[in-house]
Amino acid sequence: MTDKPFDPVAAWADMVQKWEHEINSWSTKLTDNEQFGAVLGQATKVQLVAQRAFGEHMETLLRNLNLPSKPQIDQIGERLGAIEDSIDRLRLAIEALAGKAAPKADATPEPRRTRKPA
Amino acid sequence: MGEQQLSGEDVADRVRREVDRALKRNIKGLEFLTAARAEVGAMAKDLVHREGTAMLWRYRPVVDEIYRVPLLIVSPPSNKGYIFDLAPGQSMVEYLLERGYDVFNLDWAPPRQDEAHLGLSDYVDRFIPDSMARIAEITGERDVTLAGYCMGGTLATIHAALHAGNGVKNLILFATPIDFSTMKLFQKWADKRHFDVDMVVDRLGVIPPELMLGAFDLSRPANRTAGRLHLWTNMWNDEFVKSYRMFDRWAAETLPVPGEYFREQIKKLMWDNALVHNRLEVGGRVADLGAITVPILNIIALHDHIVSEEAAHPAMTLTGSTDCEEIITKGGHVSLVAGPSALRRLWPLIDGWLGKRSV
Repeated sequence: MTDKPFDPVAAWADMVQKWEHEINSWSTKLTDNEQFGAVLGQATKVQLVAQRAFGEHMETLLRNLNLPSKPQIDQIGERLGAIEDSIDRLRLAIEALAGKAAPKADATPEPRRTRKPA
Repeated sequence: MGEQQLSGEDVADRVRREVDRALKRNIKGLEFLTAARAEVGAMAKDLVHREGTAMLWRYRPVVDEIYRVPLLIVSPPSNKGYIFDLAPGQSMVEYLLERGYDVFNLDWAPPRQDEAHLGLSDYVDRFIPDSMARIAEITGERDVTLAGYCMGGTLATIHAALHAGNGVKNLILFATPIDFSTMKLFQKWADKRHFDVDMVVDRLGVIPPELMLGAFDLSRPANRTAGRLHLWTNMWNDEFVKSYRMFDRWAAETLPVPGEYFREQIKKLMWDNALVHNRLEVGGRVADLGAITVPILNIIALHDHIVSEEAAHPAMTLTGSTDCEEIITKGGHVSLVAGPSALRRLWPLIDGWLGKRSV
């Protein structure tokens, strides 16, 4: 006998947790054989081949429509990323040089490195 | 029998509470669906070094007196480092800064196609040592406590094995796989007989996160749906929703990884389990775990479905360190580095261990 009154929300949460556990255990059993690895390996290959074929088809279509393809957009994104990286590096280099030449007056002083455990 | 008899007043109270929660669920549910990306990050930080896909951040110290030895936390290459600094009260970085540590985080930008060639050697022979050199420049200290989470821990371990005596004073490993043969589901997923890693890498260059997320979903297929159901149940609870959104954002922002790194991870670590057998060759040298003699704190989550205790424990037995301590704590893979329970239970233990080794 328990003192707890019936709580429908707690019962629901409990049920979800049990369901989650059961599905996950079932998945662990299902995946625990060599056949599973074989199917998965094959599926990855098929997916890559299909992706490539679809990508090529789309690229032709988009070229005919005079629109940029995803790889072209990705390329622009990567170039922008590379430019941002270069700016970051330049900023860091300039800051390092400026810091060496004349330390900033308003720079926060470094804390003392003398702390000991309590 | 089993339910307590309730008075009329109790029943009315409970009905009121449930109706209130149901209303809040609907209102907040709408807010949730229309909300912008969850804000993350509790502490101020500065980018202090940038190289390839590597970004070194320094968190601004918040106390006047800090420990001598700085702490460098290496993020796993497939995940963003803000998991260490989710939000005030749930941030490991915040906790460590307040206890006087000088915290740096080696984080990763998504690799570009022209960075697909980056391999293990770039991570352990270049990005980590260059970050340590930059930390030495900033702090004037050559010693550093090297910490890593998940594969970030594996990279830290490989670095420490290859560069023994070169500045690593302590090693802290969070959910770090060392023995890859025990990672059963990943072994099935990347089964040598059926998984053509060369084809995948050669075709894709940079490995998209979906490829890796598929393996995680297979290991726990119900988690995503159950998470949504738990969210709906707790939609009235602002703290729960905030936390859910931050973790959800982090999981959704899994990073792509360079193809070469992925190839080496699969061939050398998953297939050959080379780190455990002391035959992991990186940049022409063998990473010998026995060469690691610095103090090690190995932290393992009891219910970690990604990195099990068997996968992480060999850091205690195969290294040459005589000052090893292991903490096995309740919770899952992520709960070691984020969340309120780690704040209460785990991080104070880390502080206790690290403080006396950081002077």
